[in-house]
Amino acid sequence: MKKLQLTRLLSQLGFLGIANLGAVGIKTGFCFPFFYCHGCPYASGACPLGTLEHGLYKGHIVGQFLLFPFFILGSTCMIFGRAACGWICPIGLLQRATAPLAKKMGKYSFFKKLGNSSNEKYIRYVKYFVLIALVFLTTALVGFTFTDICPVGMLTGTFPLLILHPTSFTPNVFFPFALSIFILFIILIVLVGRGWCRYVCPLGALMAPFNKISVLWVHVDRDKCIECMACVKICPMKIDVLNMYRDPECILCGKCITICPTSAIKYKVT
Amino acid sequence: MQKRIVAQIIIIAILMGSLGDMLVTTDVYDDVLERIVTVICLSCVKLEPRTRLDFTFDTATGEPHPQFVLENLSKGPVFLHYRTDVCPACDDMEPILHDVFNVSYDIREGFHKTILFGDTSVTFIHINLDHTREKKRESFQIYDKDNINGVPMFTIVTLGYHPAFVKPYYATGYGFLGQENPEDAGLVIQDMIDDASTTYHQNRDGYTP
Repeated sequence: MKKLQLTRLLSQLGFLGIANLGAVGIKTGFCFPFFYCHGCPYASGACPLGTLEHGLYKGHIVGQFLLFPFFILGSTCMIFGRAACGWICPIGLLQRATAPLAKKMGKYSFFKKLGNSSNEKYIRYVKYFVLIALVFLTTALVGFTFTDICPVGMLTGTFPLLILHPTSFTPNVFFPFALSIFILFIILIVLVGRGWCRYVCPLGALMAPFNKISVLWVHVDRDKCIECMACVKICPMKIDVLNMYRDPECILCGKCITICPTSAIKYKVT
Repeated sequence: MQKRIVAQIIIIAILMGSLGDMLVTTDVYDDVLERIVTVICLSCVKLEPRTRLDFTFDTATGEPHPQFVLENLSKGPVFLHYRTDVCPACDDMEPILHDVFNVSYDIREGFHKTILFGDTSVTFIHINLDHTREKKRESFQIYDKDNINGVPMFTIVTLGYHPAFVKPYYATGYGFLGQENPEDAGLVIQDMIDDASTTYHQNRDGYTP
């Protein structure tokens, strides 16, 4: 079953390549079904959140920019649930890379508490706040807010532009704020495994409810389960896998499926 | 269980059908490509181009100057202002331009007006790339001399003496034109107009449109 995780890694790398097809001149008018900035000089499509923001900017509603990313995300998520987070999102890949560090940091009691405190389940609602307040409301009322501080935009848009054209650009007034948020973002994903997906990602918040009705989901067969808790320990989203049923937090990464000694956990299509 | 499957099929059919219908019957694909993916909103990437407002004869693409610019160049320098609908830095620069050129217009529509600066007529042309004809849109690439591909972009076209004859001569700046704030950028625009006016007067006698 380790093949599953290798397939996932290849999928993540493949989609990172697809997101950057602009490098070979392929730019499309599609929105990514994952988080990636169209400010990236090589981006082959548009950020879904950025497109939604274009549809709301300062209260000027452009219906097609609101509906187009919604239909793309909706179609994808209705079939695959939140699998995009676990299988194709480049930020998910980054967090996969920082996971060993987060695991090491988790050995220190302070950091362990960060990701496992009793209030943790409430902190997960932060991402819904970010989506509603920073992506939708403030964009409609005063203009870009999330975009101005987006750490993913910094990582995949601003930095590549600076690296590719080091003498062409200079930071603007928002840069110091965005850089501070970016540093916090790095600290978060190094200290807490999948910290961005769990607590902050507004795109994850948009996709999460689809897990309740998606065709593909992760099913736990309690009859086969021996309650070894291996799935709970390995879950990067820190879900109580044993008792989960179509959990909005599940990114369908399949780590629990890989580790389950009795094959009690499986992908299910219904 | 069966009810769930039926509901899932219906929802997927509605979403995919709507997506397909949107792609076939609307310009959404081209709009996302041209308005979001292709043109960078400079303020969104938290960067300001390092602008050197050097005048040059060579257009960025090597193409000739657009006809609508040449038509106005016989009257005086031409100032081109490029923006998109969604661009915070463009919004910040808008009142400055309104002040400098003493104009008022709807940002979503094309606008041009010839304004007298001292004894020089300067034609101000506002181009919103999201709502413009192809010819004017192409001019954005022609004058994007640093290949920034971002807005706001400002170009002033005047006349310069090229060995043996007078030719259109232009300078392009981006964002806040290398300044900290829009107000200071306004002063740079004034300087651009002054420089362009001086050069225009020096060379207009030798210009054959």
